[in-house]
Amino acid sequence: MSRSALVKVITFLIAASILLVACAPAATPAPAKPAAKAMKVGLVTDVGGVNDKSFNQSAWAGVQKAIQDLGVDGKFIESKQVTDYEKNIDQFATEGYDMIITVGFLMGDATAKKAQEYPNIKFAIIDFGYFPAKAGDPDPYKTNLTNVTSLLFSEDQVGYLAGTLAACMSKSGVIGSVSGMEIPPVVRFVVGYQNGAKAVNPDIKALNQYIPSFTDPAKGKEVGLSMIDQGADVIFGVGGNTGNGGLLAAKEKGKMGIGVDVDQYLTYPEVKDALITSAMKNVDVAVFDAIKAAADGSLEAGIRLSNVQNGGIGLAPFHDWDSKISQDCKDKVAAAEKGLKDGSISTGYTP
Amino acid sequence: MDFALIIALMPGVLASALRFATPIAIGAYSGVLCERAAVINIAIEGMMLVAAMVGDLVMLYTGNIWLGVIGGMLASGLLAILHGVLCINFKTDQIISGTVINIFAIGITGFAYRRFLATPTLTRPIPSTLQPIHIPFLAQIPILGDVLFQNRPIVYIMLILTFVLQYVLFKTPWGLRTRAVGEHPLAADTLGIDVYKVRHINVFLGGLVAGLGGVWFSLEQVGHFDMLMTNGKGFIGLAAMIFGKWTPVGSFIAALIFGLPEAIQITMNFYFPHVPYQFLSMIPYVLTMIVLAGVVGQAIPPAADGQPYDKQ
Repeated sequence: MSRSALVKVITFLIAASILLVACAPAATPAPAKPAAKAMKVGLVTDVGGVNDKSFNQSAWAGVQKAIQDLGVDGKFIESKQVTDYEKNIDQFATEGYDMIITVGFLMGDATAKKAQEYPNIKFAIIDFGYFPAKAGDPDPYKTNLTNVTSLLFSEDQVGYLAGTLAACMSKSGVIGSVSGMEIPPVVRFVVGYQNGAKAVNPDIKALNQYIPSFTDPAKGKEVGLSMIDQGADVIFGVGGNTGNGGLLAAKEKGKMGIGVDVDQYLTYPEVKDALITSAMKNVDVAVFDAIKAAADGSLEAGIRLSNVQNGGIGLAPFHDWDSKISQDCKDKVAAAEKGLKDGSISTGYTP
Repeated sequence: MDFALIIALMPGVLASALRFATPIAIGAYSGVLCERAAVINIAIEGMMLVAAMVGDLVMLYTGNIWLGVIGGMLASGLLAILHGVLCINFKTDQIISGTVINIFAIGITGFAYRRFLATPTLTRPIPSTLQPIHIPFLAQIPILGDVLFQNRPIVYIMLILTFVLQYVLFKTPWGLRTRAVGEHPLAADTLGIDVYKVRHINVFLGGLVAGLGGVWFSLEQVGHFDMLMTNGKGFIGLAAMIFGKWTPVGSFIAALIFGLPEAIQITMNFYFPHVPYQFLSMIPYVLTMIVLAGVVGQAIPPAADGQPYDKQ
C-alpha cells in the first residue's frame, strides 16, 4: 500500500472515531400529537451517558415522556469527557434548539457560560444551583442568568430516610456508603444517610469513602469489599457506576445494598437480591415538569426544588425485601419522613 | 491502630492490592511484549476497553463466560494486528497509531454499549463473573493462603504469565530473537531473522495479553461492561513497564507498588478519616514521575524502541 492509501486508512479511522464519539442520537419516538411547530429540546448528558442506570438515564426518560405527551422534539448528546460539555451545548444551540437541559453538577460552569452566550435559549440544569451557598458568598452568575432554571433535589432528605432504614436493618452496627466524587449532591446524600442512621442508633459506625470518578465500578467494588471486611452489612452505593460496584460487593458477600437516584431494582437487576430499597430522585419528573412549563411559557429562571414535601424524592419500593423488613423499621422510616415533611427533623446538612 | 488489628486486616488489604495490580501488570506485560520487539504500544488502554466490551457481548450472546474471555482477547488481538500493520509495514508514527486506536475504542465501545448491552434482551448467565478458585491445602495457609490461593482465574493467569514471559524472553531462542529485533534489527536481519515477522507476532501476542486485562474488568471484577470502565489502567500499565525496566518480573513488582497504596488508602480512610484520601491516591502517580525522572536507577528502553525498520 502506498503512502496515500495509508493516509486514507488513517483518515477513515479518525473520521469513524469522531463520528462514533461525538453522537449517535437515539431514534426519536413518533410524537403522539404533532404540534404545528414542535419545541426542540436537547439533553446534554454527563460522562455516564443515557444508559448509566442512574440520573442521566432518568433525565432522558423525562425528555422521552415529554416527546410522547407534549409532542416536543427531543434529542440527546452524550459527553465523553469534561471538555465536551461546551461543544455539545454549542451543537444544540447552532441547530436552533429552544431548550437545552444539562445533566449534572459538573456542567455548572459550562452551562452558565453558554447561557450567557445564547440568551434566547432556555436552559435547565440538574444538580447545580446558581446561588450563594452562604449569605455573602460571591455568585458570579446570579445577576445575569435570566434564562437558566436549576433543578435541585434535597438529596439529604432521601439520604436521611435511607440511613434510617439502613441503621434499623443493620445487625452489625456498621454501615457503609461507596460514593463518587465529593460534589454537593453526593455529599448531601452521604451526610443525610449518616445522620439518619445516627438518629436510629447513636452508636452506629457509618463508613464512607469518596472515589474521584463516576465510572470506576472495579474500584467501587473493592471499597465495598473493604467496608464489608470492617463489618459493614448495609452498603449505600452513591456514585453512578462507581457506586454500583459497591452494590455488587454487597450482593456477592450476601449483605444488603441501597441503590441511588432511580429504583435500581429495575435498572440493575444483577444485584436485585441484595437491594432493600433505593434513594430516588425523580429526575424524570423534574425534567418533564420543566419542559412542560417551558412549553406553556411559565418556566422561570431560578431554582425548582424537588423535596420530600412535594414528592420529588423518596425511597423506592422494598420489592423482595418487603416481607423481610420489620414493621418497626417501616414505622421508623415513615416517622422520619413525616418529621422531614413538617420540619421537626433536620437532616443536619449545611452547605 | 494496634498490631493485632493490622494483622487482622492484612489479608484483605493484600488480596485487594493483588486485584488492583492485576490489570496494571497485564497491561505492562502487553507493553513488554511489544516494546521488546521495538513497537511502542500506547493503545493498550483502548485494546483493554474493546476487550472488556466484546467479552461481555460474547458472554451475553453465547451464555458462556469463557467464550467471552476468548472473544475479548481476540478482539484486542485484531486491534493489535492493525497497530502492527500500521507501525511495522507502513512505518506510521507509533504514537499516532496508538492514539487513533484509543480514541476509536472509546467511540466503538460507547456505541456498542448502547446498541447491544445497555438494555439487553438476553439475560446474562448467573453468576456473570469468573468465580474464585480455592486451591486445595494451599488456601488453608494463614494470610498467604487468603492472599494468593483464593483468587479468581485471571489473577492466577497473571501470576503464571509473569514467570512464563520472563522465561520466554530471557531463556528461549524466541526471546533472544525478540530482543535482538528490539535492540539492533539490522544485526538480527543480517543473521537471517525475519524482523517484520518477529515484530508482528509479538505485537499480536501483546494484543491478546492486553485483552486478558480488559476482560478482567467486565468478566472477573464487575460482571458486565460499563463505559470507560478501564479508567486508565492500560496507561498505568505502561508506567509499570518502565518502572519494571521492560521485564515481566519487574513489571509485576511495579504493578504491586501501584496497587498496594490504592488498597491501603481504602482501609486507612476508615481509621484516619482526617487524612485526605487524595494523598494516598497520589502515590502511584508520584512514584511514576520519580521513576520517569530517573531517580530510582535509570530506565533504559530497548535501543530500537519506536523505530520502524527498513528491510535491507
